[in-house]
Amino acid sequence: MLHLIVCIKQVPDSREIRIDPVNNTLIRQGVPSIVNFYDLHGLEEALRIKDEHGARVTVVTMGPPPAEKALKECISLGADEAVLVTDRKFAGADTLATSYVIAKTIRKVEEVWGPADIVFCGKQTLDGDTGQVGPGIACRLDLEQLTYVGKVVRVDPSSRKVTVHRFLEDGIEVVESSMPVLITALKELNKVRRAPLPGMIRAARYKPYIWTTEDFPDLDASKIGLKGSPTIVSKTWVPEVRKINGQAVGGESEREIAGALVEQLWKPVCRKNSGGHREGRESACLREEKLNRPPIGPITAACW
Amino acid sequence: MARAGLSVVLLERGEFPGAKNIFGGVLYRKQLEDIVPEFWKEKGFPMERHIVEQRIWMMGKESVVTFGHRNEAYKQPYNCFTGLRVKFDQWFADKAVQAGAIPVYQTVATDVIREGSRVVGVKTDRADGDLYANVVVIADGVNSLLGKALGIHKEWRPDEVSLAVKEVIALPKEKIEDRFNLEGDEGVTIEFMGETTLGMAGMGFLYTNKETLSLGVGVMVDQLREKKVKPYALLEAAKQHPMIRKLIQGGETLEYSGHLIPEGGYHSIPPLSGDGWCVVGDAAQLVNFVHREGTNLAMTSGRFAGEAIVEAKGRGDYSRASLQSYDRKIRSSFIEADLKKYKGMHQLLKEQDPELLFDKLPHALNEAAYQLFLVDGLSKAQKQKTAIKLIKDAAGGTVNLLKLGYKGWRAMNG
Amino acid sequence: MSESISDKLFTIRYKCDDVSHLIIKERDSCLKCAKKDCNYFCPSDVYEWDKKQKLTTVAFENCIECGTCRIACPYDNIEWVYPKGGYGITYKYG
Repeated sequence: MLHLIVCIKQVPDSREIRIDPVNNTLIRQGVPSIVNFYDLHGLEEALRIKDEHGARVTVVTMGPPPAEKALKECISLGADEAVLVTDRKFAGADTLATSYVIAKTIRKVEEVWGPADIVFCGKQTLDGDTGQVGPGIACRLDLEQLTYVGKVVRVDPSSRKVTVHRFLEDGIEVVESSMPVLITALKELNKVRRAPLPGMIRAARYKPYIWTTEDFPDLDASKIGLKGSPTIVSKTWVPEVRKINGQAVGGESEREIAGALVEQLWKPVCRKNSGGHREGRESACLREEKLNRPPIGPITAACW
Repeated sequence: MARAGLSVVLLERGEFPGAKNIFGGVLYRKQLEDIVPEFWKEKGFPMERHIVEQRIWMMGKESVVTFGHRNEAYKQPYNCFTGLRVKFDQWFADKAVQAGAIPVYQTVATDVIREGSRVVGVKTDRADGDLYANVVVIADGVNSLLGKALGIHKEWRPDEVSLAVKEVIALPKEKIEDRFNLEGDEGVTIEFMGETTLGMAGMGFLYTNKETLSLGVGVMVDQLREKKVKPYALLEAAKQHPMIRKLIQGGETLEYSGHLIPEGGYHSIPPLSGDGWCVVGDAAQLVNFVHREGTNLAMTSGRFAGEAIVEAKGRGDYSRASLQSYDRKIRSSFIEADLKKYKGMHQLLKEQDPELLFDKLPHALNEAAYQLFLVDGLSKAQKQKTAIKLIKDAAGGTVNLLKLGYKGWRAMNG
Repeated sequence: MSESISDKLFTIRYKCDDVSHLIIKERDSCLKCAKKDCNYFCPSDVYEWDKKQKLTTVAFENCIECGTCRIACPYDNIEWVYPKGGYGITYKYG
């Protein structure tokens, strides 16, 4: 049976975050904590593989004790086991120290529940936004890595091959890799399911495994927590609101409004509109440079 | 129930308990103490302020006649205190979870599951969502879709419910203490009626919290509909009243909210239990609207239901006859006594022109008080006469005033 | 300190479902309805009569789940259920 490990993080809900105007820090008080939603897409993909091929799904996270709630949510969705790695000594970790501890955790998970076939991470977290932890783990565990995955095409347990679509800036890359492999998930990957009632009840009763530094005898103390984190935040500030030359389009009918809108959008013509394999990535081309081409119709010729 | 070792699931449709809940803001010590002894000694108990003074305001256009009582005796132990439901409900639900109840949140109970006349569980809005149980405690609030599904009450009429809208307004601690004449955790409640409901049957409230004020206005839904007033416009108008404006000045609105309040009273109470079910709190119309008590009736009815179910478990019998002990507990408690006392109130409010009680009389009272305290050369005897005449005229003559007084007395002491 | 209703609603956290939990049962009843009471009594301005389209628009995303509309619609024309568990409003104070 496949063993799928999903790395998650509990983050403040970014929709609710305000910035302290005095200290330029995030006001976390009163902000609800959620599972980083990219991670949830990773979990969902693991659960789909479990549904199709049968698999064991183990969820891991590093964080303070309240992160237990995030793990329970994963259990409610259908994960088999969940591990919380928590210790004051882990606090203050940057991506280097975090990926070190998570990599160690995955090794230990493998000792308990068997070797991992696929490790899922989110593309990045909502609070840190670095996108470095996933690759960091892959590197430390010497796993193949597939980042920015928007679609898992095929998982073949017998040949131990995985085929995915990586959504890159200039197109989609179709890649096949052998297991074990680490995948970082985009939100396009899937639609996260709603937990069934038995899952909710199992989660309510479930106690995640709690591992502290004592559970990792071979941990290098210089590589964890603040000590193991060379990243220095030298300054934080609220960026000035950039002036955007917004323009309102109007018209009498929906058709007219849509026409006016398309005309405006067409002006900065998308450069990469030919020979593409953009598959559903229409919005990206709107950001491309202007070529000052005069508006040309008809609408059907547009790049989307 | 969980304490007694029963297997309990706590179903909540919000993100967490309290996520969807609001109330005016007053909780009572006695009823909570019966469930969580000495709760106030607990660190982290989410009390806002304990109440040392209660005021009732009759509002005129830019005036008020006030009646109030402040007493240091309310302090030891507290009589009542203000709270905010988001904090309180989480604290309260955690008590149940600590006792062993299984919390299942973000899940709506959409219907009851029946076997013949027996209720054997609920359907939820999740996959594989049928949940079976010996007893279902229906506690889904004023809208009680489950109660309707069960057929124990029909839809409320617009004259059986009030719509209350509320704002939580931030104000520094020191400002609150100064404006309301308070020390430390002391608090004040103000209920107001008259001008602020624009002649509709209803009341407003202003309660002090630690660093916020809870300000709300509630009116009967039928009258709100008749007047075509936006509920929040009513609240905004109240905020402009000089008596209120000066108390909330400089405050920032942190949250707007709205909720229905069941006002049907004694006659609207549905059957309280049956084969495999009990109904508690707002879902059973257990609200004493005259004394703004709802939460404590809800908590107490919940406790009674829990006790009755534990007893039923002991007998291994969850039939209507067995669960009737819940009804008996309600009937022999203050809940029934209080609701019975005011059972005529609803009828009175329905029969009387709301303008009289909620507009003319408060205004006449203000005018009478104004005249009485105004020194303008008239003799005191003349002043007293004018004042009494003002009130009599507002009621439509002496006979009507006496009738109203009698009816009012009957309604409050039925 | 006087805010518009949109400012007021902005103070509440919403998690919107993609389908409405409020449904107008019969469009014809709204056509017949002279007073359009729902345009007034709703504390979060969910309902608005669209003159052009001749129908009541339902901004269910604004709904604070009080239930007034279900009870007060003179034609009993509003099908009212709770939003899916975990969706809809979440108060921060209550």
